[in-house]
Amino acid sequence: MSITTTGNLGPLILQSLAPAMLYVPTPTMNTIVFADKVSMPANGGTICRFMRPRALQPPTVQLGNSGIDPPAQVPQRDIIDAQMAFFGTGCIINEQVILQDQEGVLAWVSERLAVAMRQAEDLILRDYILSAASQIAAGGGTNGDNPTNLGVTDFSLVAATLDTNNAYKFMSGIEGDNRFGTGPVRSCYAMLSSTEIQPDFDSLVGAGFLSQWNYPTNTNALPSEYGSVYNIRIFTSSEAPVARNASMNGRDVYYNTVCGKQAYTHINQDGYSMNLIYRDPYYSGMLAQNATLAVKFAQSQAITQDTAIRQLICTRAGNAVNP
Amino acid sequence: MEYDRQAQGQVTSLGGATPVMLPFIPSYIEISNPARATAVNGVTRAWWLSEMGNGTAMRTTTVAGPTDGTSYIATTGFEAFIAYSAKLYGPILPITTVTAGAAPTVVVCAGNHNLVTGDVVVFTNLTQTATTGMQGLSGIPWVVTYINATNFSINIDTSAGATFFTTYNSGAAIDNTGSCKKILYPFLYAPGVADISAIALGAQTTVTTTSPHNFVVGQEVAFRIPAPYGTVQLNSLPNITIPGSPVYGYVTAVNSAVQIVVNINSTGYTAFTYPLTARVLAGLAAPQILAVGDNNSGSNQFGYLSPIIPTFGGAHTINGPAIAGAYLNNSAMGFIIGSGVAGTAGDAIMWRACLAPIR
Repeated sequence: MSITTTGNLGPLILQSLAPAMLYVPTPTMNTIVFADKVSMPANGGTICRFMRPRALQPPTVQLGNSGIDPPAQVPQRDIIDAQMAFFGTGCIINEQVILQDQEGVLAWVSERLAVAMRQAEDLILRDYILSAASQIAAGGGTNGDNPTNLGVTDFSLVAATLDTNNAYKFMSGIEGDNRFGTGPVRSCYAMLSSTEIQPDFDSLVGAGFLSQWNYPTNTNALPSEYGSVYNIRIFTSSEAPVARNASMNGRDVYYNTVCGKQAYTHINQDGYSMNLIYRDPYYSGMLAQNATLAVKFAQSQAITQDTAIRQLICTRAGNAVNP
Repeated sequence: MEYDRQAQGQVTSLGGATPVMLPFIPSYIEISNPARATAVNGVTRAWWLSEMGNGTAMRTTTVAGPTDGTSYIATTGFEAFIAYSAKLYGPILPITTVTAGAAPTVVVCAGNHNLVTGDVVVFTNLTQTATTGMQGLSGIPWVVTYINATNFSINIDTSAGATFFTTYNSGAAIDNTGSCKKILYPFLYAPGVADISAIALGAQTTVTTTSPHNFVVGQEVAFRIPAPYGTVQLNSLPNITIPGSPVYGYVTAVNSAVQIVVNINSTGYTAFTYPLTARVLAGLAAPQILAVGDNNSGSNQFGYLSPIIPTFGGAHTINGPAIAGAYLNNSAMGFIIGSGVAGTAGDAIMWRACLAPIR
């Protein structure tokens, strides 16, 4: 008896593409979430200018009965300038790829370009803040380094600093509810942190850290929100800035951006934000062989209230990071 | 071809790593150095393909007349770069000694540091004993001055012998080897925040920073001076006169890349103390000065390819016109002519670079 197997009658088609694309690991992009948003008007030059009036001296001295007016005050203002910059990237795709590939190359490349652009916005903001915002070093931890790992007193200190600077908090608190294991959340500043120090936050459970899962309600929590300590709500991302082996004793240094409202501003260009550009092969040369897909955008950024932002730098209690 | 990228030009050698900004990352680089050919001494021509790997080069060296020789170097050749992210570092450079003394303080590395004047480094692990060593230098960006292949200096007086500012010697140190590493792109955005190494008080206040400040005349600045450093009266808050209103100063003169004069009358303020024994106390940050705005009311614009940002020893941004003191982006890409092919400082190097569409 002769049995027909795939050995002597192989399948005509050897492969089949699974119906859905696999996901692309994508970090949360937190920095832009807490940025003030401003649009630079078209035909408005290269610089976006901010103006902040200065406070006037309160008239705390009585006029008396002399009939003489007190000296006039001269109003003053602060000016903050930011220069627009242009960014872009793209792909050149030969028509044979489009013609012969069975999956929608143009569709998923478009998607990747869009994500790349959004990540660029966030990374530029992140690095800009790194270069421009002042720092407070954590000292409340116990690892003996400088800066130390985070202790609850560090959260208290940085919140007190911003409060003393009259910064505005982002979020009103969440009232307590009669649900087991939950606790009220204070009105808060935002802290942008690395996912790598989440174990250090967990070690503060019972000492001031409240997991997002233990909020009375997490309906207004972002997916990247890890929890809160006193007046600070913590948002983590794998893309938060880390300076490797840069502490006094060689540990990694984490930059936790703590900010209030209007601390930093993202500026886009009116009429120029997020251009996804598809150019048909028709435009590529005499044989019209190559299509292009590209994104371009314009952005700038500024620290618009230096009093409302601090980078709380810290190390970890340990420093091992599992791959 | 439509997708080629080609560029050529001339750059003045810095004597070491010399940057060339391009609107692309090249796959081929070629340089000619007429000055070395005329002097019959040094690298007259060098070239690189991306397939050779970063840091390598083929080079032609002239020693006398026709006795040119071609050689391959695995390091200090060409590097294509893309300066896009802060907190990227060069290799860890083990340190042999950091000798306490009058400014500048000299650092001796265990091997060739490959740094040039203007590079910025950070130090770690400079503990000598539990109470001695140079830990006080750690965590701060320092601009370096090249001395020789293994030695460089930083502009700080460590002669006072303050605790944690005493000579570090790796041979006798406890359980650690001190090291430093170069911050690859310290000035991706400007102006920013800078750490302070000295403040001279007076009718106007002179501030020295540990690395280039990137400030211009007219820059509005704020101070963050932790109490142990003394001069807390410079801090922008609290304002004892007007509730909640920050106190800012303006830069009236730029004495150097690391020194400015600010229009704050600091006469009678508490003296600034640095180095500071308490520098390594947990939670004590470095004293800082930062840009918070500018006092330009129009005009005073930079021209094309300005201003100069001290990245790689001084290079223009690739931005167009801006207002002095504005926040601007300084990310860039291109290539670096390494010390093994850069000739002598001041040489006019002709370069050509391209990006091949098919590789």
